[in-house]
Amino acid sequence: MTPENKPASLITFRDVSRFYGEVLGINRVNLAIPPGVTSLVGPNGSGKTTLMNLLTGLIRPTQGSIDVLGVSPDHPEKLGRFVGYCAQFDAFPKGMTGYQFLYSYLLLHGYTAAESAERTETALHRVNMFGAAQRPVGAYSKGMRQRIKLAQAIAHDPQVLVLDEPLNGLDPMARAETIALFREWGEKGRHVIASSHVLHEVDRISDQVILLSHGYVVAEGEIQGVRSEVKEQPMQILVRCDRPDVLASRLFERQGAVEAKISTDGKGLLLRTKDADGFYLMLNRVVLEQGLEVESVAPADDDVNSVYQYLIGAEGATV
Amino acid sequence: MAVYKKTYRPYDGPLTAAGPRLLVIPRYAFDDLRKSRFLAIFFLSTFLYPLICALLIWLEHNASALRVLGVGAQLSRVITINATFFLSLLGWQSMLALFLAAFVGPGRISPDLSNGGLALYLARPFSRLEYVVGKMLVLLILMSLMTWVPGLLLFGLQGYLEGWSWITANMRLASAMFFSAWIWILLVCLLALALSAWVKWKPAAGGLMFGLFFVAAGFGTAIDLVQNTKWGHLMQIFNVVGTVWLYLFEGNNPTSTGAVFFRVTPGEDLPIWSCCAVLLLLGGMCLYMLARKIRGAEVVR
Repeated sequence: MTPENKPASLITFRDVSRFYGEVLGINRVNLAIPPGVTSLVGPNGSGKTTLMNLLTGLIRPTQGSIDVLGVSPDHPEKLGRFVGYCAQFDAFPKGMTGYQFLYSYLLLHGYTAAESAERTETALHRVNMFGAAQRPVGAYSKGMRQRIKLAQAIAHDPQVLVLDEPLNGLDPMARAETIALFREWGEKGRHVIASSHVLHEVDRISDQVILLSHGYVVAEGEIQGVRSEVKEQPMQILVRCDRPDVLASRLFERQGAVEAKISTDGKGLLLRTKDADGFYLMLNRVVLEQGLEVESVAPADDDVNSVYQYLIGAEGATV
Repeated sequence: MAVYKKTYRPYDGPLTAAGPRLLVIPRYAFDDLRKSRFLAIFFLSTFLYPLICALLIWLEHNASALRVLGVGAQLSRVITINATFFLSLLGWQSMLALFLAAFVGPGRISPDLSNGGLALYLARPFSRLEYVVGKMLVLLILMSLMTWVPGLLLFGLQGYLEGWSWITANMRLASAMFFSAWIWILLVCLLALALSAWVKWKPAAGGLMFGLFFVAAGFGTAIDLVQNTKWGHLMQIFNVVGTVWLYLFEGNNPTSTGAVFFRVTPGEDLPIWSCCAVLLLLGGMCLYMLARKIRGAEVVR
């Protein structure tokens, strides 16, 4: 869907640029983010935090316009009502306990004292922090601080949840619970927008990804769709079958084949081809003509990690 | 792409009024102040002078007490409940309020800036202006309790004892007390918050606040002496504020030299417009400093 004809269920960036003096934050970004879990992926300094700050109205674009479900971030009194933000860095008013931290921010939202107290308890239970709620936030461990930050972001039940590196500092159990929470929120039709450096977790969380590099959006969309658009990188496909040598020989009869490796057990073929669609058609023919017994066929590089390597590269340079 | 059925329903219950929400910000600040024994004792001791004033007003209207003390005529000669009386009260209380603001003010914004708390406030239905007003509330309330509140209570006491005719004849004193105190309170609050936003180390911010009042006054005096002029007084904030106060209390023909600590040297008084301009300029500079710093995010990482 193009930004021009979006309904109010999208978050749209139209030609948005943000400069910090002469330093580029993001440049000419056009996005239309649908409900679900969206991951922002990119190296340090690629513009992820800038994008999130723009989305939450904490900074204004140098040019372009942003629309969050029909509301401009220029109106914090409207935007803040349905957006929850969990900053990357520790951000806590001094001296408050975990309970006070959540409760006072809910009062700022305009909830009554009783409603605020109920929501505070619900959010604390949600992130398993109820037991430590009466301790000062300053005395929390890294993981607890991360969880209480998440609690303040979800306590007012926002429709748009913006999370900057939300899994940092969490132990494996808490990571799994947090990922489950994101998935549940996404499935309810909310927008969950998270940045992460942990690419295999991005794969598990995301309905779609936005890849950023040096302030530019390098790619956006469902990860398999993004991968198929990277034409210059041959697609890797792993085929488990009884006669991989036959398949490999037929593969090289076609144009576009780049590489084929037969696994050590003699039952698998890892191939690289620039014409994946053509390969799948050919595979059907081989199965029919030669009676090949195929156990499984799966793309081997349509995950975030591979796409990241292809598009951004190991050092964060755009390919 | 996954297609999800939207089951999310936003909150549509009642919300509290926007005004009282500002009180959430000083909510825990007052607790912190109460925990500081020094500040608590200092704050309570600032009511000593108004209590003495109340005692003097009561004594002046209590003939039997004066007879017992044997100071009837002398006291009436020394203590007259007029503009000078209220200016002295305002001067004392305002100076004490400055000390309190120098202790309390620098801790208002700098912790939020250094801890990243500002983004948490501003990512809510809450504007920058509301944040500043919320942070200012602590100082506004405390300084009000020290300045115009006791001033008006004393005015009310004197009016009660003296009669309605005194109140109507001296209504200017009440309004002057109220507006003079607010000029001082707003100026000091803005300065305290602006310095708090720019200087993260609290003792340095407090020191800088005093420096602004006393060092600038020294510069002003030097300019006066070197240039043989009176315009250097414009750098003396006490003098500038004192001139405005004197005008509010006594108009264009003052009979006194103004409030204690805020004296206006006879013959060297500045035009009222120039003093108002200096105060507006100072306030504008503070607002600009705050606008530059009170932002949700500014750091390029």
